[in-house]
Amino acid sequence: MTPLALLLTLSSVVFVLGLFAVLVRRNAILILVGIELMLNAGNLNFIAFWRYGPPDPELTGPIFVLFAIAIAAAEAAVGLAIILMVFRHTRSTDLNKLDSLHG
Amino acid sequence: MIALFLLTILVLLAALGAVWNARPVHAALLLALALALHAVLYLMIGAHFIGLVQFMVYVGAVAVLIVFSLLITRPRDEEEEIARRPRTLGVGLLCTLPVLGVLLHAVSRFADTGPVATDAPAISLERLGTILYTTHAPAVLAVAVLLTAVMIGAALFAREPGKKSSVSPDP
Amino acid sequence: MMLAAIQTDESLWSLEWLPRLPQRLVEMLLHKLGASEWFVDFGGLLAAAVTVVAVFLGAFALLSLIERKTLARVQNRIGPNRAGWFGILQPVADGIKMLTKEDIVPARAEKLLHLLAPILIGLPAILALGVIPYGREWTPVSLDLGLLFFFSIGALTEVSVFMAGWASGSKFPMLGAMRAISQMVSYELPLLLSALGVVMVTGSLSLPEIVARQEGYHLGFLPAWNLLTPWGLVGGLVFFIAALAESNRSPFDLPEGESEIVAGHMTEYSGFKYALFFMGEYLGLFAISGLGITLFLGGWQAPLPGLEFVPSWIWFFGKLALVIFLFLWIRATFPRLRIDQLMRFAWLCLIPMALLTLPAAAIWHFTGRGFLSWVVTVPLLMIPWGILTVIFNKRLAPATRTYRFADS
Repeated sequence: MTPLALLLTLSSVVFVLGLFAVLVRRNAILILVGIELMLNAGNLNFIAFWRYGPPDPELTGPIFVLFAIAIAAAEAAVGLAIILMVFRHTRSTDLNKLDSLHG
Repeated sequence: MIALFLLTILVLLAALGAVWNARPVHAALLLALALALHAVLYLMIGAHFIGLVQFMVYVGAVAVLIVFSLLITRPRDEEEEIARRPRTLGVGLLCTLPVLGVLLHAVSRFADTGPVATDAPAISLERLGTILYTTHAPAVLAVAVLLTAVMIGAALFAREPGKKSSVSPDP
Repeated sequence: MMLAAIQTDESLWSLEWLPRLPQRLVEMLLHKLGASEWFVDFGGLLAAAVTVVAVFLGAFALLSLIERKTLARVQNRIGPNRAGWFGILQPVADGIKMLTKEDIVPARAEKLLHLLAPILIGLPAILALGVIPYGREWTPVSLDLGLLFFFSIGALTEVSVFMAGWASGSKFPMLGAMRAISQMVSYELPLLLSALGVVMVTGSLSLPEIVARQEGYHLGFLPAWNLLTPWGLVGGLVFFIAALAESNRSPFDLPEGESEIVAGHMTEYSGFKYALFFMGEYLGLFAISGLGITLFLGGWQAPLPGLEFVPSWIWFFGKLALVIFLFLWIRATFPRLRIDQLMRFAWLCLIPMALLTLPAAAIWHFTGRGFLSWVVTVPLLMIPWGILTVIFNKRLAPATRTYRFADS
């Protein structure tokens, strides 16, 4: 098994674990945990291809990861702000209880 | 290669814990561990800058934010969560296993023909900065605008509706 | 062998080699024993790390005494004077006391996390101490990304503070941890932004490089330190204030305000674990002061021309002592802030000023760092500073309290 294959396998499994969390968890914050894992799996792919793939003089992989990290941080901030606002209305972060449009 | 393999197993265990642990705070801490191990992985295969940025942003900001909002919301659904476990596991596996199969199939197909590993290409910080601020300057500006908007937006969202605001309290 | 180990480019009497001696000795010894190259390097690094840790543990013991002595003198007391000459053995007595105390773990605590938190809290500080250049020839680990490493490893502190507060399973630690994390996150921004100006002007994230670029003197006697530039002065002040808050020192010591929430996240710790928290805090203080000295006070550079014959690491530790004394002085002088004042100060005052140092540093760099640069950057920084001061004094300062029973 080459290092590239190892890292790609790792990132697929981590991605699927994140997907699992998004599907299974009911707490909105823990769903965010799953989303973060999925984003990280994507980043890992970029780094793996940059390191073990064909030569990349334009550093596309690392730069894409930098942008992805910036956007993931923004996504977490907005997501948590929304979750906190919802929590203030309903006193719950359980997504199954948030089924009414009327707050 | 052996070190890489061991680290891979550690990352998998931490991620599994983050996904499966019934106590929300433990899950969040395990997420922090998984993200930190990702950073170690990047450092190990030679992407030093990315690894340090990953550590700073994910462990220092994102994981702390998640943990902090868990502290504020105090979810107490552990027993309920454990009770639903068998059903959850079945449905979750039913949905995710095909995805995993497709991904692993693609990886295995690719790995046979994939390029062979070479020496670590070094990222010169100067080169990274030059590329970032010339070729990708529009994207950097867009991200800057996005982050500013997010900061203001998050501050507005999280603000406690005060007495002066027109938002009426819960009916 | 001793003589061979201290062979350097410079003369024997410069004493620059002294702190590197353990590393060189270990490397030579391993070489003589026929160890592989990797093992020789590893042993040398280990010796260098042990040197740094030993020096700063000694400094920690000394500081715990000096802090009590200084505070006592400010408050017109004598301070510890029972153990040894002028209380010099007080740290030893404290250490023995801490080690022999009973280790209490609350029944409702998360055992594993409760144990892990004090171990983790000293780690980032010790790792961060490893990348600081202490002398001309003494940088334990010279990293190209040293500054970034320093800040990213600092992220671990927040996580371990949270673990301590949450794992204790009681109210005060939780409140203390929440206060500590929100304070650290808010003050990390001005800390980073004020350090960024230095990076822009130096063009490097490597700490030895940043120090090397502050060599020389203006007008023959003014050291070319970053502090003595307009943007560096503002940046240095912001950095100092943010460092006070980041290391939970008074007047920003809300997370462990004794009179409010006992000892914050450390409340449920006793014995040796409490001592570990204490140690982590002081090592963090050393690390962040060392970084401030490296960034703004010229690191190990001598303050006046003609003083270069003194070993450079003596200058570094002299500056460190001075900065730490400032910390103690401030602790003895200022009352504690309220949490809303703390947050408002960070977001409305420190972050705008830190952001302004970035254009100022850029202008400074591109206008030739001469007279013209001063003319442009001083108003750029002074006018917003004046406006912020007026706003803070008029609008946001708390109203003067009137005390009903204490106006004699």
